[in-house]
Order: sequence, then structure tokens, then C-alpha cells
Amino acid sequence: MTQVEKRESADIPVSLSPQESAPKRSRYLVAGVVTLVLALLPLARPLIGQPFNYVMQMGIVGLMWITMSSSWNLIGGFTGYISLGHNVFFGIGGYATGLFLLYFGWSPFLTAPVAGLIAVAFGFLFGLITLRTRGPSFIISTIALLLMTGLIFDNWDLVGGSNGLSLPLPPFAIEVLKIPFYYAMLVIAIGSVYLGYRVAHSKFGLALRAIAQDETKAEVAGIDTRRMKIAAFSISAFFVGAAGAIWGYSLSYLRPTVFFIIGVAAQMVLMVIIGGRGTVAGPAVGAILLVSLNEISVSQFGSSEINIVITGVILLIVLLFFPLGVVGTLREKGRLPSFLDWD
Amino acid sequence: MATLQLQDVRSGYGYGPDILNGVSLEVETGKAYCIIGPNGAGKSTLLKTVAGLLKPRTGQVLFDETPIGGMRPDLVLAAGVCYVPQDRSLFPEMSVRENLVMGAFLETDKTVVAERMDRVFEMFPVLEDRLNQRAGTMSGGEQQMLALGRALMIEPRLLMIDEPSLGLAPQIADQIFDIIRRLAELDMTLLLVEQNVIRGLECTDWAFLLDLGELRIEAPSNEILDDPRIRELYLGRQKETTWQRGTGVGEES
Amino acid sequence: MAAGNRGRRGIVTHLLQVVILGLLLGGVYALMASGLTLMFGVMRIVNLAHGVFIIAACFVAFFLFQGPGWDPFVSIAVTMPLFFLIGVGVYTALFPRIEGSARFTEMTVLLTFALALIAEGLLSYFFTGTVRSTDPSYKTDAILLGDFFIPTAQLLSSITSLVLLIGLWAFLYFTRTGYAVRATMQNRTAAQIVGVNVRRVSTISFGIGMALAGASGSLISFLFPFFPARHWQWIAILLALIVLGGLGSLKGAVVGALLLAVAAGIVSDQFGPTWSPMTFFGALFLILLIRPQGLFGHQARVG
Repeated sequence: MTQVEKRESADIPVSLSPQESAPKRSRYLVAGVVTLVLALLPLARPLIGQPFNYVMQMGIVGLMWITMSSSWNLIGGFTGYISLGHNVFFGIGGYATGLFLLYFGWSPFLTAPVAGLIAVAFGFLFGLITLRTRGPSFIISTIALLLMTGLIFDNWDLVGGSNGLSLPLPPFAIEVLKIPFYYAMLVIAIGSVYLGYRVAHSKFGLALRAIAQDETKAEVAGIDTRRMKIAAFSISAFFVGAAGAIWGYSLSYLRPTVFFIIGVAAQMVLMVIIGGRGTVAGPAVGAILLVSLNEISVSQFGSSEINIVITGVILLIVLLFFPLGVVGTLREKGRLPSFLDWD
Repeated sequence: MATLQLQDVRSGYGYGPDILNGVSLEVETGKAYCIIGPNGAGKSTLLKTVAGLLKPRTGQVLFDETPIGGMRPDLVLAAGVCYVPQDRSLFPEMSVRENLVMGAFLETDKTVVAERMDRVFEMFPVLEDRLNQRAGTMSGGEQQMLALGRALMIEPRLLMIDEPSLGLAPQIADQIFDIIRRLAELDMTLLLVEQNVIRGLECTDWAFLLDLGELRIEAPSNEILDDPRIRELYLGRQKETTWQRGTGVGEES
Repeated sequence: MAAGNRGRRGIVTHLLQVVILGLLLGGVYALMASGLTLMFGVMRIVNLAHGVFIIAACFVAFFLFQGPGWDPFVSIAVTMPLFFLIGVGVYTALFPRIEGSARFTEMTVLLTFALALIAEGLLSYFFTGTVRSTDPSYKTDAILLGDFFIPTAQLLSSITSLVLLIGLWAFLYFTRTGYAVRATMQNRTAAQIVGVNVRRVSTISFGIGMALAGASGSLISFLFPFFPARHWQWIAILLALIVLGGLGSLKGAVVGALLLAVAAGIVSDQFGPTWSPMTFFGALFLILLIRPQGLFGHQARVG
């Protein structure tokens, strides 16, 4: 019935083009330099001077969103299953480590991986229930999950209800307070992006893409689609949970409105779609673009309502006119710079 | 006079490759044609392209000299081209009667619709028996009859049927082919796709052999039936005994 | 012994009261959900913006009440046609563009998600997040029927919803266009090849869905307090509802709405109103576990 099919995710052809060699090798160089600069940035504190904390905060926020979007991409991009409630794991991670800190005195820097695993466990459970169906029912169930979790946390005394919990400040001097958070987020972001890269280049990733293209055909071809989907969904929760752990600690308070609002989910979705769904570099690109845009927009317009409108408008425009996102569109036109080409 | 003309038509699905690789053919009024060929040859694709479910990527589709390539399916029907798909495409929750009424959707005169329904019942008495039965609960053969009956409700100028005998037991298939032969005798312009080559050729005047999206042979049906070379090349490795005319047992091995 | 009997009767009466209230509310939920499921049934569109358009209609009803003093029921005469037109406009502007998509339904989710964000932002910007509701005189009235207390507002809304749903049913079963809509819902290709202009049918169906949202908004304006960001809760509930009933099934939307409204009422009564939305979410996960296609849905709908 379809007359002309339009592509809306940057599905990479299964046979990767043979032109490896020189242009692609330079991307390792770029990646290396970028990582080095990011790692050494805090050491440049004396040079940066007064805006240092702002720079650090931007770094923390940016790296956090890179983490979130790269992880979301595993289920929303590679597998083609849109999760509109992924920030549930963000909140679970945040609250879990917060509670560990309050009750046992364990530092979130240490328990963040545990938070990630707890998120994975929840993801697995949720996936078991909801990934039996295809398409719309799954998406709807993720929205329900988000609202349900928000409702529970809003009314649960253990986690402070809608007032939330206050967390003790980390034991560092004020001037260098943000630095550990920065490094924690950097590690998490690198982990998340690297995970995306490894999945993209694995048989698992191939199976996921097959599911995204045509789930019926994938099943017929012998792929255990349910298991793959649940795996992708669970894995995608890990770094999101860890990021939530660090983020909550960095705020020194936990509140449902920080984690469980639809706006967070919207940002994740938007970043990946702008950057390029189903690509390795896309989510990071989208995250950086959107964080920058938000900064500018907040300083110009201030009010959050206009921000919501802008988010929606950008999403609409990208969906209608540039469904492949930055990375996908550039690749289609043959203009993708090699440092963005990791697929 | 040519009712339907395809001129160097290429088409395919989505982003995929061309299934039809430049097909040109003509269908004349009042004659019955059968499209045969191996799987994947593009037979169904051809019908879908004419019906408007697929857009031709290049080339022209003309019906009575008017271009219909790329037109919406409902407009193609309005022009007089009726398509009966492989899966019959009935309305499963609707009754036989409702399906037939929907077949005449473009006809607004109720008396005309009622007359046509009577004529359909003449040809397919079983449909009248099952008037209020839900289409989704009928047997394969009955569904095919309903699909054909529904197509006739609009009195098409060109009737295209995709694999009428698909999935039907031989005796039921026989009935369907008899009906098709009757339609051909009534000078309805027919374009058939049939996997059951013998029966398909038996009830038509001309044959188009499609392979890999190209028209390889066009000839009168009985010539194809009688030509051993063509049989050899295209009609499979069947043993002699299965090629008995009239039994309709032409299964691919 | 007499005292014991009265105690038992008291519990049953109380339960019946809750059930009655639930049924009344269920009618309105059915109205909201039917528009949503219609859009999916005809066009495979999951309209995440349905909730925000209901809220927008609430605002229309609110300002008509505040200004010219129009009763919310009367405002339906405005909201229905207005939102029908908005629906036609939105559909025509957005959906034909993505018609040929390989993952169409998914695209509609994202598209309507964007739409919902835009609409919420605009409503928030122009009208702020203040909680509002209309206050017609019958809002606090009730009729006493034997032992049962029937709030007038809920009763009238329920009757209105019933009338509108019957109207929808009549449209679908007794008009030519309605037949075309049903045909498209059952088999889109078949509809095309019998001469239905599915583009036109889709546009009209979207318009009708939005018109139902518009009418619902007028009713909701006095049944529940509303503010722009509230739509997420509404859409989550409505989506859960139509999944329960079976995506695309109008019968399922009505049955699901009545069932869940009663269940939510019982939950609200026993555990407090905060938890009533949980009923819908819980039911959603339950149905996904035991019968993913919903009560009246078909196995593995081709999306």
C-alpha cells in the first residue's frame, strides 16, 4: 500500500562500505584528542578563572545528556522501540543512591554502578511484561510507567513524597566541588557512548537493526526478538541509572519533579532524533546541540513554557524534514566528516 | 482498441529495487489475458501498479488512452479498473451483503445496486445463501467468490484478478476457473495472474510470460500450452503425467 | 439483629454508590477514549496530543463561561465544530507527509508528541499553570434516588456522552461516509479498491476524533480541575484505556472505560483519590500480561 517509503532512521546498510583506511583512521585521532581535552579540562582551573564552576556545570550537564541519549538510542534507535518513559531509570538511580547515602553513608560515586544495575533489573522486569507486543502498546506502556512511578514517588514517605529528600553535601572544598561530579559523568558518558559503539558493531546490534527494519521478517529468520528486545531495553537502563545517581548527588536533593517529568523523556527523544537515530555519534551530537540551544534559549527567554514550545517545534521540523538527523542526513549526502562516522 | 497499455513501466516497493524492469504490453477490450511466470517475476507488482497501489517509477500506464499511472486507487476504480488482490481483501467484520454493497460504493443509485446484486447471486448462488454471514468466517472458496462478486458490483471495464485459485482445494479452484471462463465468454476484459498455469491458460485468450520483471513472451494461450520448449524452460520440471489438461493439477515440484 | 442487617446493607449500598458514580464517569471516559481509538482504527495514528486538545477545549469552555456566561453544555456547540476544524487542519498539515513511512505508527507517536509539547507550551504561556474549572450551578447539585446520591453534573455529562456516542454509532452504521470509515478501519487496502477515498476518510475521522475531544473538554471543565500540564495524566489514562479495550475497537473503548472507571472509583474510595490513576496503569500492565491485544482487539495487528 505504501507508495514511496521515506526513511526515518539512519539505518546503516548491513554491509558496511569497504572504504575504511585513512579517512576513518583520523576519527580515532579526533576522539582521542577530545577525550584528552575533556579529561584535562578541570586542571585548567587557574586559566579559566571565575567562570570555572559554570564551565564545570555545563560539562556535567552536557555529559549527562550524552549519556542519556546514547543509552536511549539502544532501544529507541537501534531497536526502533520508542521509550517515552526512559527517565524512570534516571530517577531510580538517583533515589537508590540517595537512600544508600542517607541510610548507610555510602558515597554515590561508589554506588552509582549499583544504581545502574538496579535500573537494569527494573528494566528487565518491565521489558518482560511489555515487550510481548509490538509498537504502540509498548510506547504507551512506557508513558504509563513514567506517570505511575511519578505518582508513587510523590506519595511515598520513604522517599519524602513530593518534598523529596535532602542529601548531604559531598566532602570536598567548594572551589573544587564540581570536579568529582564532572569526572564521574565523563566516565559514565564514555561508557555509554562506547557501549553504543560496541552494540552497533556486534551481532546483537545486527539483530536489533533487523528487528527495527521488519520484526516479522526477523522472527521468521530465527531471531529471538523478544529476548533481544528485553536485553536492549535492560542494557539501555544501566548508564541512565548511573547518571541519575550522580545527578541527584550533584543537586544535593532528590525530588520527583527532578526525575519523573515527561520533559526529561522528551529531551532524550529529541536529542537522539536530531542527532541521528540508530547511529553511534548521533545521540552525542544531538545532546551537545540541544544543551547549547537550551542554554541560549533560557538566557534569552527565561520562561520554561517557551522552551517547551521550542522543543516541540524543533522535534516537529526534524521529524518532517530531516528524519535522519544530523548524522544520518550528512551521511546520505556523502558529507559526513569522519570523526562522526562510527557506524 | 487497447483498453490498457503499459509503456516501459518500472516499479517496486519502498526503497527497494525495481521489480518491474520496463514492461510494455497492451490489453485489448473484450479479451482475457493471463500473466504467468516464476515467483518474484513481478506479476502481482504489475497488477498493483495498474491498480494504483504502487506508483510507477518510470513509464506510463494508460487506460483508454488516459494516463492512470500513480493515480489514487479509488480514482483508478472510478475509471473502470477493478482489482481483486491475492488475499481477497474483504471486510472481515462485514456481512456478505455489506461487502457486496461496499463493492458498489461508487454507485449511488440504489436500484442499480440491487439489480447488480441479483446478478451476482445468479452467478454465485452460495453468496445469497450466506447473505448475513460475516466475511471473515467464510471458507477460502466462498471468500474468493465474494471477492469476485464484489468486483462485479461495479461493472468494471477491466477486471484484474491476482491468483484466484491460491490456497483453494482443486475442486473449489475448478469452480472459480469455470466462473472466470464464463466471464471471459461474456467478453469481460480480464487480466489474470495465475500460478496454476494450465488452468489459467485454459480460460484465457492470451498469455504474458513475465520473468525477472520483464516481458519475455506474449502469445495466444493455446500456443503456450502446446509448446514443449516453453514448458521446459518456464513451466518447471513437472513430469509428463501432471500436465494432463483439465485436471488442474499443476503444482510446482 | 436489625442493627447487623443495616450494617451489611450499608456496605452494599456504599459499594453500589461507588459503582454508580464510576459508571457515570465512565461515560465521559468513553467519549474521550472513543475519539482516540477511532484515530488508531482508521489511520493507525496514536495521538499523544489528544489530552492536550481536551484541555484546550476545557479552556474554551472556561472562557465562554467566564465571559458570555455560557453553560459548559452549551459550549459543546462551539467546541465540537471548532475542534473538528482544528483536527482537519492538523491532519492535512502533518499526516499526509509521513504517509509512506515504513514505521508509520511510530512516526505518528513522535509527531503527536511534538504537537503535544507545542500545544502545552502555548497554553501554559498564554493562560499560565493556574488550576481552573468552570463552576456551573449544578456542579454541587445531586439527585437522591432511594439510598443513592447522584451528582447532577455527572449525570448530565453521562447522558451527553451517551447521546454523542449514539450519534457516532449512527454515523458509522447509517451513513455512506460512516460505512467508508468502517471499511477503512477493517481493511484499508480493500477500502481503496472499492473506491473509498481513504485520504478523505482519514481526514474526516481525525476531525471527528478531535470533535469528540472538544466535546469532552467542555464536560471535563467542570468535572475535574484542569491546567495545561495535566494532559499527560489524561493521555496516559486514555491510552491505557484503549489498549485495554483493544486498539482501534470502539466497543472496547466503551467497555474498557466503564470497567476502569468503576474500578478506579472503588480504588479511590478505598485508598484515596490520589491512587485512582493507578487503576488504569495497573490494568494496562495486567492486560499486556494476559491478553496483549486487548479485550476486543485482534491478534498482532499489522502496524
